[in-house]
Amino acid sequence: MERWLRISGVLVIAGLLLEALCLLWSRPIAFVVLVVFGGPLISIGVLLFLYSLVSSSRQPASPPGAAPEK
Amino acid sequence: MPTIATVVLVLFSAILACVIVVRPEITVTRAGKILAFGVLFFLPLFSLAMGMQDEMTRSESTAFCLSCHIMESYGKSLHIDDPSYLAAAHFQNHRVPADEACYTCHSDYAMFGTIKAKLGGLRHLYVYYLGKPPLPQDIKLYKPFNNQVCLHCHLGARSFEEGAVHNADPATLPAIKANKLSCISSGCHELVHNVGHWGNVKFWYGKE
Repeated sequence: MERWLRISGVLVIAGLLLEALCLLWSRPIAFVVLVVFGGPLISIGVLLFLYSLVSSSRQPASPPGAAPEK
Repeated sequence: MPTIATVVLVLFSAILACVIVVRPEITVTRAGKILAFGVLFFLPLFSLAMGMQDEMTRSESTAFCLSCHIMESYGKSLHIDDPSYLAAAHFQNHRVPADEACYTCHSDYAMFGTIKAKLGGLRHLYVYYLGKPPLPQDIKLYKPFNNQVCLHCHLGARSFEEGAVHNADPATLPAIKANKLSCISSGCHELVHNVGHWGNVKFWYGKE
């Protein structure tokens, strides 16, 4: 889960930094950069985070080394 | 919300996301999981929504439209000191909001008018950066100017409804309202921006 969290976090950070730049860069192309790159980066990061939640909940909660139930 | 507040929100979200990236093990606890949900789900989406809202609002401003070099002369036409220039007369007399002058007249007021205007803007960007942009004086509207944009404000106004020329022929007013007789291109109010054909016009920039 930690690996997915890291990847998700990096994507979200990249998207957010791009968004901040676009907001400060008052040019028409900034709008396109936000829509084409910033938005998808954040969206993919969020989706990966949700995937990490789902995938971790599927894993058995038993502690490592415990004997499997019969 | 002003842009600077949105930027602060975005940077704050990014800093919190850094905490998760550097120390993902904090998500083992219940509080950590809640923090991760806020930082990697709620805050990024909220920041993105606020940023998009800011960009959409900014794209309606006169300064935004005129930030493209090719639009400079159209911006200058708003300051022509001659009331027969339609765009200048509307801009200088605040018949349209001065800070949203382009958007007010170049987006229709129908249900999807704003979306159509944004798609038109994307097309402009494509031509500007990847195509062959025309000279400013060669720029044409994609389709004839719709009277409904004018009528959004002028319909019902006394100067429009009781105007001598509008009532000289009983068929004129219904034809204008039905968009069958163009306000702009039928020879009545055709002097709009007239870029490239100004001659010796003067410019008015108001009181500094």
